[in-house]
Amino acid sequence: MADMESAVRAYAAAKRFAVGTLERWLAQPVDGRAALLDLADRLRLGENQFRDIFDDLVAIGARRGCTVAEVLGDADLRVVLARPLGRNEAVKAIKTVLRRLRYPQLNAAEQRLAALGRSLRLPAGVALQLPENMEGEHIAITLRGRSARELRAQARDLAARLDDPAIEEMFALLDGAQV
Amino acid sequence: MTVRFVPDAVWIERAEWDTPLARTVRARWAGALESFDDGGAARVASVRDGKRLLVVQRHRGTFLRHCPAGTAGLVCCNYLVVNLASNCPMDCSYCFLQDYLTDAPALTAYTNVDDALAEIDAVLRAHPERSFRIGTGELSDSLALDPLTDLSRQLVPFFAARPNALLELKTKTDYVDHLLDLDPAGRVVVSWSLNAASVITRDEPGTATLDERLAAARRVQHAGYRVGFHFDPLVEFDGWEQEYAAAVDAVAAAVDRAAVAWISLGSLRLSPALAEAVRRRTALGHVAGAELVPGIDGKARVWRGLRLRMYRVLAARLRAALGDVPLYLCMEPPAVWERVMGEVPTDRVLGMRLAAGAAW
Repeated sequence: MADMESAVRAYAAAKRFAVGTLERWLAQPVDGRAALLDLADRLRLGENQFRDIFDDLVAIGARRGCTVAEVLGDADLRVVLARPLGRNEAVKAIKTVLRRLRYPQLNAAEQRLAALGRSLRLPAGVALQLPENMEGEHIAITLRGRSARELRAQARDLAARLDDPAIEEMFALLDGAQV
Repeated sequence: MTVRFVPDAVWIERAEWDTPLARTVRARWAGALESFDDGGAARVASVRDGKRLLVVQRHRGTFLRHCPAGTAGLVCCNYLVVNLASNCPMDCSYCFLQDYLTDAPALTAYTNVDDALAEIDAVLRAHPERSFRIGTGELSDSLALDPLTDLSRQLVPFFAARPNALLELKTKTDYVDHLLDLDPAGRVVVSWSLNAASVITRDEPGTATLDERLAAARRVQHAGYRVGFHFDPLVEFDGWEQEYAAAVDAVAAAVDRAAVAWISLGSLRLSPALAEAVRRRTALGHVAGAELVPGIDGKARVWRGLRLRMYRVLAARLRAALGDVPLYLCMEPPAVWERVMGEVPTDRVLGMRLAAGAAW
């Protein structure tokens, strides 16, 4: 146990972690400290990334009623950590999985929204913009053309697609419809 | 029954030692008493430490204020707050006092109650044509300190004698028995912040259970008080729909709907500093795991679609269980009102409706 605390302190010192971050880490049960140290070591996490990941792990644990160590044992996370990824790719992949676990309903709604957007098969030069974190009620569509003729063609094509029921479903999702 | 608040110590400002409120505290408190001089008030390190020490002192400044929830861009109910105490002995994980009171964290009861009542009286007399709703539960729980201060027994007759104001005593305790022999004359609403049972267990340590709160609501209602309920903050967690439905049904089973003055719904919202305070707590509950995302004002809230769904589910359940009791949203913009309630009242109209107890 003392060795674990020393190892945590050594890692935090080497990466110049703030005292508050270290205190939160050390406030974890021993298995949580160890699991976090293992992750930090493997991904060579600096303080900001460590804190982001730690916050997500704690929130997921609160959501599931389990410990940080148990969250880190999640099958999806183990799969990512077992893949032969570079450090940056691995951090990105871990964060993606964590977001899915941290925001299961938001993630499902975003996935559905994105699928509906793709199903519209918008013409080239026409882009769909959805509110970040679904925190808004507007959907924006932009046209980008090199000529009036090109824009007119995009607008005609787009107008036909706006009758697609997918559009209605997208607004319904933003309005709280369940996936 | 709720665990009664027992401070570790009571400190009384020397010059206020013989004021009525200080005398009441001294008569009811069997533990050690300390006195201090103006400017030498006990210093405590944090809001949480501050909960263990009761400071009794004079309030310097005005008592009556607009509710700070009335932020620009949000539909406001024109509520006024009178701060007769500061901080709270309970320890809800999401409480904004963890951030708001960091510079003055001591649990404090103010002695110059007569000054507060005179200030309120002057406002009520200056605007006899207006109806005011005034609450004491903004910076503290309205009833939690009453076992030591007996303050509400002074407030009820004061408001009972005033035709153009309603007093709201907002609480998470079941400490109401000292109110039962008073006549509120229809001018006092005792209200409870309610939540799903497991949110109360995990995120509201030191408060009365849902059953205890509703039993207390039934007692005050039988004694002639109107009652109110605030489902605020609504917290998203696995199973929220079933637990909130059960809470609504429990309300409907406990009280007579005709005596319900109002019910509000509000979503969990955390400033960045408050979110950090939540993360630093040792026991994490549903609040720490909720699907919160940052909004345009920097506060984290449940993402909009889920927030709308929660409001609609609760509003529909409340309508089904309690009919057309006055129902309103707290701290939401017109767009959310429109989507959930189907209308956007002006601040003035909303305030008037609630003061009149009008249903819509």
